[in-house]
Amino acid sequence: MEQLINDLKQQIKEALNLEELSLEDFDADAPLFGEDGIGLDSIDVLEIIVLLEKRYGIRLESPKEGKAIFRSVRTIAEYVQANSKKN
Amino acid sequence: MISVVSTNITSPLGFTTEENYQAVLSGCSALKRYEGKWGLPEPFCASLFDDNQRASLAIEGYTFFEAIAIRSIRTALTYTTLGNSLSRVILILSTTKGNIEALGEELYYPSKAAQRIAEAIGLTREPIVVQNACVSGLSAQLLADRLLSAGFYDYAIVVGAEVQGPFIVSGFQSLKAVSDEPCRPFDMERNGLNPGEAAATIIYTSTRTGRHDAWHLVGGAARNDAYHNVTPQPQGEGLLLAINAAMEGKDKSRLATVQAHGTATLFGDQMESVAINRAGLSDVPLSALKGYYGHTMGAAGVLESILAMRATDDGIVIPVKGFAELGVSGRISISSKLQKTDKSAFLKAMSGFGGCNVALLYEASPQSSSTKKEERHRKKVHTVRLSSEDETSLTDIYKQEIGNYPKFHKMDILSRLAFVAAEKTLSDSKTLSNSPLKGENTGEDSLPLREGWGGSLEVWRGSVILFGHSSSIVADKQYLSTISDAGNFFPSPSLFTYSLPNIAASEIAIRHHLHGETCFYILPEKDEALMQEIVDATLSATGAQAAIFGWIDAESETQYECEMKVTL
Repeated sequence: MEQLINDLKQQIKEALNLEELSLEDFDADAPLFGEDGIGLDSIDVLEIIVLLEKRYGIRLESPKEGKAIFRSVRTIAEYVQANSKKN
Repeated sequence: MISVVSTNITSPLGFTTEENYQAVLSGCSALKRYEGKWGLPEPFCASLFDDNQRASLAIEGYTFFEAIAIRSIRTALTYTTLGNSLSRVILILSTTKGNIEALGEELYYPSKAAQRIAEAIGLTREPIVVQNACVSGLSAQLLADRLLSAGFYDYAIVVGAEVQGPFIVSGFQSLKAVSDEPCRPFDMERNGLNPGEAAATIIYTSTRTGRHDAWHLVGGAARNDAYHNVTPQPQGEGLLLAINAAMEGKDKSRLATVQAHGTATLFGDQMESVAINRAGLSDVPLSALKGYYGHTMGAAGVLESILAMRATDDGIVIPVKGFAELGVSGRISISSKLQKTDKSAFLKAMSGFGGCNVALLYEASPQSSSTKKEERHRKKVHTVRLSSEDETSLTDIYKQEIGNYPKFHKMDILSRLAFVAAEKTLSDSKTLSNSPLKGENTGEDSLPLREGWGGSLEVWRGSVILFGHSSSIVADKQYLSTISDAGNFFPSPSLFTYSLPNIAASEIAIRHHLHGETCFYILPEKDEALMQEIVDATLSATGAQAAIFGWIDAESETQYECEMKVTL
């Protein structure tokens, strides 16, 4: 799980061009959206959906399904672990 | 104020304005569901020319995009006496992606397409291309108003055109914005837009030469949300500002209809309903045409305005096809049934990516009113030039001189260039009073750069007006690389967003909370005189307090050129 979390952090940082966010400061439990967290927006969610499909073969139809999934890196990792088709 | 001379709509519903109007009146729609079209994995619903139509519209030696624009203009011209005096006629081409499927060839460049269209028509003046995302068709008409009112030309041919293909459709699909069913504007069940293709033309002249009983574009305004590149500001701030500016001093009881954008996306329609309500237009019958044509993008602003003119002439408000049950919170008067009207004016509103909103007011046989022009004191201009010859990367400039704006790294090269240049220009102009350049100083030692939402009176009305030649070619190529391999087909929503060049203006507007006009114009080459004409006309018409404007062109990561100016 920890490995998956670290992989996801790296992949999200790359996919979203979060250049100024260091992996050490990227808390697995920090909220991804809103001012208090990482501060991602609606386009970022869509990019993460692309990433999950590309890397893990997981297909989400709409960001609406994913409100709970995209809360933090940890919740994404849990979802990936439960649904991954590519390993 | 300018006067309509002639119009044409060339769409899957017909090749003349009248054919289109009759088709819409009888409830026809060209929307169809496509599966596996262009190898796209997801189905979609769209309004596309069929094979027979394509064959009859094609012109040898021209792309289909160019052909429909040429056909539309030629048909519009047949109703005029312009044919022999084309020397003082300007062509304004409105499109979001033009010949995008020719990416990699010379034909890709939007100004190339415009020049080819102009030559086919017999025009000699350099054409202007407006690439302002979904509001392009209205921005193009605003430009026509300004250039004709200033006396630079006798006639303006405004043509909007869009041809659909895998690039645009996959892009909107990546944004989860496309429906595979006929769209349902403002409805509870709406779930996205339908791409559409069409060309539409309005030929305008100044009121000095136009017929008084013709339709007139009597007012209009463009305002930016300064909120997000894609998501509309939920309270419709930008659209409200645009509507209020367009309606200033005008009597809303004269309106037959508010013709909305109504793309049937979740957030777009919702925002529009709120803005219309806040503008006090809840009781004016609302119309929206996407259920007949889909979203014809660069053509939409022109096509939809023409149909509103034709319907209003006929005493009719066109029913909103696809609408059944209200699914937005702003109070609007919407109907799926045909309504009668005895009024002779309407408001056309649109909003698009890049946070841009435009509202235009049209009236038949308007009372003569002197167009109000706000006096502008010609102020000093400060200029910054950046080019790849300096051999400093944009990221290095950002890191060394700007910093603390992580979103910079998400931007495409064009937006980075615009952003860096704007930052340098503004910061230089702020400190000018202490610099050796004092002679060029405005006397103001600080700009209200960080002013937030403060109600419309407080909003800083700065405008961002950008010009270029290569459009968004770098982002276009990057996006294309995400869809060109069927086995590795992962269209990137953020790259697609940056494939609209006006996003570069949006980035500046967001950064500095600028709620004035934002627009991106494509020219064949850097033409200082023409750029100044457009900027002066914009500032004079909008009464903008300040503007950031300039030439911005990026062919690749290492090949770019920019000259950005700020006038305060």
